[in-house]
Amino acid sequence: MQPSKLRIEKTLYPGSLIIPAAIVFGFFYILPIIMAFVMSLTDWNLSRFYEPKFIGFENFEYIFNDPKFLLSVKNTIVFAVFTATLKTVLGLVLALALDRQLKTKNLMRTIYYLPAVLSMVVVGIMMKSIFSLDGVFNNLLGSIGLDFLQKDWVMNKSTAMAVVIFADVWRWTGFNMAIFLAGLQGIDKEYYEAAKIDGASGWNMLRKITLPLLMPAFTINIVFNVIGGLKVFDQVFIITGGGPGFTTQVLSTYVFTNYSQGLLGRSTAMSLILFIFVYGSSSIVNYILKKKEVDIS
Amino acid sequence: MSTDSKNTTVKLTSMEKQRKRTDLIIEIIVIFFSLIIIVPILIMVFGSFKDSTEAAKFNILPPKEWHFENYVYVITVGNIGRALINSLVVTFFSVLFCMVPASLAGFIIARRTTKISSRSQTFFMIGLYAPMNMITTFALLRVTGLLGSYFAVIMVLAASQIPYAVYMVSNFVRNVPRELDQAALIDGCSSLRMFFTIITPVMKPILVTTTVLVTMNSWNDFMVPLYFFNTSSRWTLPLTVYNFYGQYFRDWNLVFANLVITALPITILYLYAQKHIVSGLTSGAVKG
Repeated sequence: MQPSKLRIEKTLYPGSLIIPAAIVFGFFYILPIIMAFVMSLTDWNLSRFYEPKFIGFENFEYIFNDPKFLLSVKNTIVFAVFTATLKTVLGLVLALALDRQLKTKNLMRTIYYLPAVLSMVVVGIMMKSIFSLDGVFNNLLGSIGLDFLQKDWVMNKSTAMAVVIFADVWRWTGFNMAIFLAGLQGIDKEYYEAAKIDGASGWNMLRKITLPLLMPAFTINIVFNVIGGLKVFDQVFIITGGGPGFTTQVLSTYVFTNYSQGLLGRSTAMSLILFIFVYGSSSIVNYILKKKEVDIS
Repeated sequence: MSTDSKNTTVKLTSMEKQRKRTDLIIEIIVIFFSLIIIVPILIMVFGSFKDSTEAAKFNILPPKEWHFENYVYVITVGNIGRALINSLVVTFFSVLFCMVPASLAGFIIARRTTKISSRSQTFFMIGLYAPMNMITTFALLRVTGLLGSYFAVIMVLAASQIPYAVYMVSNFVRNVPRELDQAALIDGCSSLRMFFTIITPVMKPILVTTTVLVTMNSWNDFMVPLYFFNTSSRWTLPLTVYNFYGQYFRDWNLVFANLVITALPITILYLYAQKHIVSGLTSGAVKG
């Protein structure tokens, strides 16, 4: 029985059909990552593109003694932690609200998801206008008597990061909501019927039924939020360009800065650190959350 | 017995009333907070029809006079026509080169029970977790002479999204009964023909959702064209618009018009396809 079953499987589902995807992905995505491990150990420069010299771990030594690099690591972590938390929590709250029988349910879902389809260039430039000196946000503050808070939020060292975080949360909360809504739709309504008969309160049903069964959706959202947060580029590049000063510079934008100066070896080493950083933390987060999913079922 | 059930009904209707009241309150709150999304978009859309001074006030009032010529100016001076064509070309082909290979691979990975399935899955999953290395990709493209070409940007965009598409498709196919494929085998179909005539129609929901999501990502991508297109004549819309903003940042009406042009095609696609998004996310991402 077994061998013939395997033969059927092999003729029906030939492994060769995986090859096209594997080639495209392998060549344009994986190969560069492998190259990075080698090239990060060289003094590779744009002006000597074909003559990189092996210099061991010098790039890494330099990077870890570069206060700007360390600051960009810190900024990246701040950005990732804040955006991941806010997007997950707000996305969940929205999904729970819009899973109810509201009259404007569909319209509201459409509106809240809309930012996720806009280009970050559109969102970023829009945010620059909103938080500029005579932008809507300052007008709003003025109209509620908080004039003293008015400032150029993007150009201010202590608020620039908050603007970038706001832009990211503004754009992606609706996507988190959609994932949670999809998760909510997958929950069997019978659980709630049974709980109601037992006289469970709404809060208890949320804690004992909804949240545990939403774990797969939590995993997806949190993992994607962490990855997206650590990889962040567009938001920062478009809204602040890393400034003012160095206050919003993150890993990806600092890599770009070094790349534009032609320092290919050094920027490769940096992006390799970014790679290990993102791959490591998302794998860990995924592992922890997946374990929780199993515990529940 | 009968009094007991009566009590339950009374209790239920009072609960029902309370639920309706809660729903109303929630509805008001949700609508109120949606202003955070609506107001910026309104400022942008109305602002794109105002004159320069009026647009710089950034208010949500409709324009006193509708300046449609802003769009004419932006399209002619901002080189938007060319950027629009570039965006269409790059998006179309990157979606094609992502979706066709990825749906084949996703299908096989879901169906095979042998090592080849788990190993390829691990391989593609790297792409979900690991960021692209822009610098060495730049080098690879330069060495192969592809740097700056449409082909390079198209393939890099396709490659970066193949993992997502494989993930979505394979999760979906796992819930499609195998009997369908077996029937095709009895009819003597080749596996490729089986795939396109029998499986593709069944996979339609997930293919539509994934295609829409991949299209949005390709259309909106900023980083790949920024790194790999060195001549501005090949720039896609987001890059052209960003550059335009750098030159015309005092003319908010023109900048807004530019943003609207960038956002419009993808917004229309979204409004048209939105009902597929949540259903597709359910079957492709969350169930898995």
